[in-house]
Formats: sequence, structure tokens, C-alpha cells
Amino acid sequence: MSPTARKWTRIGFAGPGAIIVAIVTMAGMALWLPGGAAGIDNLVVPLVLVPLIWALLFFHACLDRNLARVVVLSIGLLVLHGGLVAHKFLDKPAVTQEAHP
Amino acid sequence: MIHLPREETKLMVAVHGWSGILLGLLLYAVVITGMAAVFAVEIGEWSAGHVETRSAFERPIDQPVRALAASTPQKYHEGVDLFEIGDHNLGVFFHHHDLDASGTPISRGIYYQLDRDGHVASAREGTDEDVFGPRNDDALSSFLVDTHVRLHVPDPWGLLLTGILGLAMLVAAISGLLIHRHLLKDIFTLRRKAHPVLVDRDRHSVAGSWSLPFAFILAFTGSFFSFYGTVGVPIVAMSAFGGDQQALSDAVFGNPGTPNPTPHAIGNLDRIAADAIKRSGDAPTYMAIENFGRADAAVTTYHHPKAGDIEPITLLYNGATARFEREKPSIGTRPSAGGTLVAIMSPLHFGDFAGVFSKAVWFGLGFAMCYVTLTGLRLWLARRVERMRSLDWLERTVTVVGFGLPLALLGAAVGFLVTMPLGSAVFWTPAVFLAVSAAAILAGFIVPTHALLSRALQIAIAVLLIALPLIRLAAGGPGWPTALAVGQPSIMAVDLAMLLGGGWMLWRLIGQRRKQLARPAPTLQPAE
Repeated sequence: MSPTARKWTRIGFAGPGAIIVAIVTMAGMALWLPGGAAGIDNLVVPLVLVPLIWALLFFHACLDRNLARVVVLSIGLLVLHGGLVAHKFLDKPAVTQEAHP
Repeated sequence: MIHLPREETKLMVAVHGWSGILLGLLLYAVVITGMAAVFAVEIGEWSAGHVETRSAFERPIDQPVRALAASTPQKYHEGVDLFEIGDHNLGVFFHHHDLDASGTPISRGIYYQLDRDGHVASAREGTDEDVFGPRNDDALSSFLVDTHVRLHVPDPWGLLLTGILGLAMLVAAISGLLIHRHLLKDIFTLRRKAHPVLVDRDRHSVAGSWSLPFAFILAFTGSFFSFYGTVGVPIVAMSAFGGDQQALSDAVFGNPGTPNPTPHAIGNLDRIAADAIKRSGDAPTYMAIENFGRADAAVTTYHHPKAGDIEPITLLYNGATARFEREKPSIGTRPSAGGTLVAIMSPLHFGDFAGVFSKAVWFGLGFAMCYVTLTGLRLWLARRVERMRSLDWLERTVTVVGFGLPLALLGAAVGFLVTMPLGSAVFWTPAVFLAVSAAAILAGFIVPTHALLSRALQIAIAVLLIALPLIRLAAGGPGWPTALAVGQPSIMAVDLAMLLGGGWMLWRLIGQRRKQLARPAPTLQPAE
């Protein structure tokens, strides 16, 4: 990859990439985090953590010399959490169908 | 110490500089108004001359609320919020929960504002967005808070903007930490006789390093508040509840129980208030009644944290019997890590967990943040203006915003003090702010030198700071003996802070002038 392409890839992952991945991670975390004693940790902890997740992704994209690691981590988080949300929505009609045959 | 390789350090210096230069002036506006808003309650009392020291919840509220309920349509009895307004008077909002066109939960109902004797001073019907707004006697503190929260840009864009500014501050704070190669040495280094740019650099570095943890906390909690309702809740509700935001709100804040719509008179609210004060040691900041007039009514009272604690207190009562049920967490039905985490965001951001002491620390650190933002912008410019004369406009802009903004805020305070007795402060407070801002911008264009512009604006700030207590008295505000006699020291404290602040600025400006006059006539010398 040329230095210019590397630079723009890095900018892409530090800029819009970090925002998108942070938001999708927040959405997905609500589905796998344990609810805790009050049953709300999975709902409120992602809301609190999202600025920190964004900051971590931003600085990681800026500072990690291994660009492949930046790409794998960001895409991995995106696919994992996006997949969880998609699965929940794809699963919903089936559940509804079972409940109301 | 964090030792980044040279290339990464260069990148972090660039990130630190550009995050400041692109959003620094807006960030400065948010931080300076936030710094003042730490004392929003005290500024409200000072500016409006409030001399009542007893909370509305320490006076009878039961009969007035019952009378209001009798004349309020039943559909608005789903929720009743009680809180203080003005000079410890009572605001009551009877409402029901609804959804707007975009599916966002809203409250619709009638907002009553009561006077000191519990009579209705005004009643407005509509959604929470329609009925709440600045009042004649809190126009100044409302203006400050609204500038800080959303820069007067309509929702959700204003909140998104301040959220992005919070993230920029987070980036500036973390990158500022990463670029320090010798943090421990830097936080104690102040070279007073070095080149002016180095002196400025040392001051920026010292103020920035000491306030770094604070900047991180403020940026983190501030962006949390800005993004919470605008981005966070809709997305988590979409993910966990298929987009039902009310379901999310009920799960997090609600008091679940078996519905019992049987009509039942509400329990004695005075008894609840008195018991809540006894248990928490402080009057409620807020009281929320669910299902008013039903057998399953629940009353929740919210209080500041106890001394030595950081988590606010929340007490739950049976609404029908006025019997104390239990102390509950502010978030969720049982204590939990997530609930505690969310509950401490507010005291951490507002600095009100240990009364005036923590507020003073937050104010001081806010001042340091303003100083860091401004000196950071000036350092960025100082390194470039020598090479790029075309940046002179930016240097002037920084001065106009840096000193013009506090001047305009003080102007807004003058406008409020003069027009509040006439009943037109809601209009004139922002109007005078805009007029003084326009005057500062005009001065930026017409004052011949940058140094003169900076000095003129600082003199104007100092003069207004000294004049404000006098204007307050001339406008009919209570004097110090009256305020002290009724146990309201905040009026005297704000007066004194303004006199001391103005006096210190004048003394500093006179000192600088004397130094300039004592210096020999300048001769042309090489820049380095």
C-alpha cells in the first residue's frame, strides 16, 4: 500500500470509522453485556462508555504503526456488534410468529 | 512517563494543535459559561436578589398541589413533577407521557408556577419543550446554562455540537498528556524571564498539566450528557427494545409494580417532604409523583449526596399512604454498577457533591481550562504568525472571543439587573449580550493594534466586574446587611468575588503598563 493510501486509510479509521464503530459497538453491547443486579447494566454502561470507546478507537488508529491491526480491530468490532444487532432484528419476526401463530 | 517515538509524538502535537485550533474558540465558549454555570444557583440568587432561604419543600405544599389537581384534567395526573423555581417558590408540572412524531418520548400537560403564598402565578399548557423556559427572575442563570449546554443552537444540533466539543476536549487532554516527555518536570517549570513565547508555553503547560484529570472528567461527562438523549438512548432503545424509548426509560428510571388504577386520594405530601428531609438531611431538589390519585401512586424524592458521598440520594414513598418504602438508587430499582456509574456523572460534571467547596474547586479548574484553551491558541499562532502575516485576523479573533465573550456575559448581567425590575429581562439579557458581542467584534476591526485591543477589552471587563455590585444595589437589590440578616451569604460572596476579580485585573493591567513605561525605547533587533 502506498504511503498516501496508508495515510488516508488511517484518517478514515480515526475519523468517520471511529464514530461508526463506536456507535455500532454501543448498540451491540446492549445485547451481550450482563444486566447486573438491577438488570440495567447492559442498557446504561454502553451509554456511559461510548465517548471512551470512540477515544480509544481514535488514538489507536492514530498511533498503532501496524495499520492491519487497526483495520482488523475496527472491522472486527463492527462486524461482531453489527451482527448481534442484525441477528436480533432478523430473529424478531420468528419470535413474533411463534407467539402469534 | 509515556515515551512515544518521534513520528507519533509529532502526530500527537498536530492532533493536539488542530483539535484546539478548529474547535478551540467554541470550546472556550462552552467552558467559560460552564465555569460560571457551576455557580448558576448562587448567580441566580445574587442577580435576582433572592432572600428566601427556606426551600419550597420546607413550606406547606400539600394543599396547593391538591387544589391544582382538582382543577387539572384527569389525563394529566399520570405524572406530577414538583421542583423549586425563583425565590424558593414551587413549580408543578401535571403531565402524561406521550410520543412525538419521531417516536421520542415527551411529556404533555400543564405547568403551574406558584407564588410565595402558594397561589398560581402562571399556568401554561403544552409539551415540556413548550412550557419550560427562562423566567424574568432567572433569565441570567438560564442564559448561562443554555449557552453552556447547547450554545443556543436548537436541539438536537446544539447538544450534538457541544458533544463534539467534549470529544475535542477529550482528544486535546489525552494528546496533551502523550506529548509531555517530562511530565513531572514540566508541571513545576515556570521560566519567568525567558522569551515571551517560552513563558506562555510554560504557563500553558503547567495549567494544562495540573488540570488534566479535571479536563478529562469534564470532557467525558460533558460528552456523555450531550450524546445521552440525542444519540445514545435512541440507539440503545433500537437495539434492546426495537426502538421503544419509553420502554428503555421505564426499565432504567421506572418503579415497577402491579398497576392498580383504583382511585385513591394522594397521601400527605407535607409529611413525605418532612420525612425525606429528616432521612437525607437536606430538602429535596425534585419530587416526582407517578399515578397521582390512584392506589398505586408512588412518590420519589431526589436529594444532593450526603457529606462525604458522591452519589445523590433517592427516596421512595407509597403515594397513597405517604409511607416510606425504601432508599433506592437514582438509576434502576436495585443498586448496580451501571446505576452508580450513571448516577455519579452529574455530580462529577457539576461539582456540587461537596457544596460550595467542591463548586469553588470546579470553578477554579474551569478557569484553568479557559486559560489553557486561550494560551494554547496563542501558542499555536505565535509559532506561525511570524511566518504567516495572513494569520493576523485569527490572532485578533482569538482576542475578541477570549476577552469579548466574558465582557458580553458581564454585559448580559448588567442588562438583566437593569431590566429585571421592569419585567423584561428575558428579552434584554440575550439582547445586551449580543450588543456587547457586536461592539467587541467591531473593536476587533477598528482598534489599530492587537495589544491595544487586548488591553481595552480587559479594562472593560475589570470596570464591569467592579461596577456590577453597584449596579445591583442601584437597581434595588438587597444590601449586604439585609442579605446576611436573612442568612443569604451568596449575595455578598458574589459581590466580593466580582470586586476582587475586577480589582485584581486592574492591578495587573496597571502593573503591565508601568513595566512598559519603565522599559527603554525599543530598538530593532533580530527576532531570535
